[in-house]
Amino acid sequence: MLEINNVSKIFPGQRKGLFGHTEGFKALDDVSLRVRKGKSFGLVGESGSGKTTLTRCILRLETLTSGNILYEGADIGKLTSTEMRRLRARLQIVFQDPYASLDPRMTIHDIIAEPLVIHRDIVPMTARQRTERVLELLLQVGLREEHLFRYPHEFSGGQRQRIGIARALAAKPEFLILDEPTSALDVSVQADVLNLLHRLQEELGLTYFFISHDLGVIRYICDEVAVIYRGKLVESGPVEDIFERPANEYTRMLLDAMPDPDPDRSPFRQKVSA
Amino acid sequence: MTLLEIKNLNLSMRSFEGETQILHGIDLTVERGQIWGMVGETGSGKSLTGLSVSRLIPPATGRYLAGSIAFEGRDVLKASEKDMRTLRGRKIGMIFQDPTTNLNPVFRIGTQLVDVALHAGHADPTVLGLEPGASSRDLKKAAKRVSVEMLDKVGIPKAADRIHDYPHQFSGGMKQRVLIAMAMIGKPDLLIADEPTTALDVSVQAQILKLIHELVAERNIGVLMITHNLGVVAQICSHVAVMYRGRILESGPVTDVLKRPSHVYTQALLNSIPTAHTRRGELRGLGGVMPEVQ
Repeated sequence: MLEINNVSKIFPGQRKGLFGHTEGFKALDDVSLRVRKGKSFGLVGESGSGKTTLTRCILRLETLTSGNILYEGADIGKLTSTEMRRLRARLQIVFQDPYASLDPRMTIHDIIAEPLVIHRDIVPMTARQRTERVLELLLQVGLREEHLFRYPHEFSGGQRQRIGIARALAAKPEFLILDEPTSALDVSVQADVLNLLHRLQEELGLTYFFISHDLGVIRYICDEVAVIYRGKLVESGPVEDIFERPANEYTRMLLDAMPDPDPDRSPFRQKVSA
Repeated sequence: MTLLEIKNLNLSMRSFEGETQILHGIDLTVERGQIWGMVGETGSGKSLTGLSVSRLIPPATGRYLAGSIAFEGRDVLKASEKDMRTLRGRKIGMIFQDPTTNLNPVFRIGTQLVDVALHAGHADPTVLGLEPGASSRDLKKAAKRVSVEMLDKVGIPKAADRIHDYPHQFSGGMKQRVLIAMAMIGKPDLLIADEPTTALDVSVQAQILKLIHELVAERNIGVLMITHNLGVVAQICSHVAVMYRGRILESGPVTDVLKRPSHVYTQALLNSIPTAHTRRGELRGLGGVMPEVQ
């Protein structure tokens, strides 16, 4: 469904003199990935490894330095702006920070209805139909009708993230980019949001491109996973393979660093008892 | 002597919507060499318990209804502000969650470290390795030396050079190390770490946890570690207290509580963590119920 071929992205360096630049920063270095329809693809990496840059490239919010990205065969970099706008209706994103990604001066209704207004040429709706669609979405993500005309500050982090998901689903996309959707949430709330995402995928047949630095979350939600380190693809494959038999040293280190809630697995305690 | 003893702590906070009781009778005892984990969801009162120990709750909004916090036998809640200033940063070190907002962006790392070292040194020159009554010139010199030593100790490479850098030149993990250095400079007996690794990557988190663990082993200090991550608790803590809506539901040695949780809530928290072995659909969330405002 989504093909990423040898993508590199170099951010230009600082200006030096009149015409010169210092050496640029290689945010992505020859990355190639395939995302299959109806599956969840996970992207793991530390902060600064280029995860978010890659999603920005997929949405064409950044131009590529080299390589190309194909969405169902069409090169995203070669689309006209009208075509790109149409594509963005099918390709939506949920952001990391539920506190910063909702406009505090808009009601929940207006926030969720906004994509429907922007993409009114693709999903033509009257105002009443829009409200009905928003209500349907609210119920779908586990919120209630009375929340419709409230403001974001009246909601908890988990509820806000649900609103963000409802907004992303408004224009009936087929592909959802989830940029660390649960990292700002408590573990207890995170579990609910993950289960919601899982249920939505089954109901709506969505394809997920899931970004996280939490390997437990990736393992839980994804079918395939790619590990990225300093802009380079380290390893990719089915989730079981990567988790059970990591081939790469870096992947193994990441897996070891994952805090396990079983006290017997603590590296510190083993040292003490030994 | 017991390092920290919190007894029946009751705290209420005022807001525009009225007064709400936040803590309902917290009891907790931290001995030297112990790492206590306080786990709970957002709003359960774990941070406010931590802040209470160094009495950083603003007096205008916070009111203690009952209880005492004894630090080495002295009641912190009854101490004068002057006494508290000798405790904070000196006997009680604190690390906060967000390393980016806790360093002043317009001062060099060194300046900020030396500030703390001087504050501790003025109160007690022996902290900087000087005789009591040392001259302020010696103090300044020693403060600088100790700052570099501490930075080196928390694993910042080329500490003597990096001390002239500004916070923005450091990564998140390095800033957190600077904050740990800052908290440790006064050689505290008690370290309060409020979500010290929440803003960091797992790999960096592992390094920071290792650092805290080493400090405890080396100096025999007590640590109160506030976190919502049971994985972190299982890794590093010797004891754990599970908080829910301002109450401690259960507490005790980590292996007892996490292996055989006696409370359904602890079990529920454990079930909500995705691990390497969790199958799809097995996770159970808690719905994120917040304490009600009366």
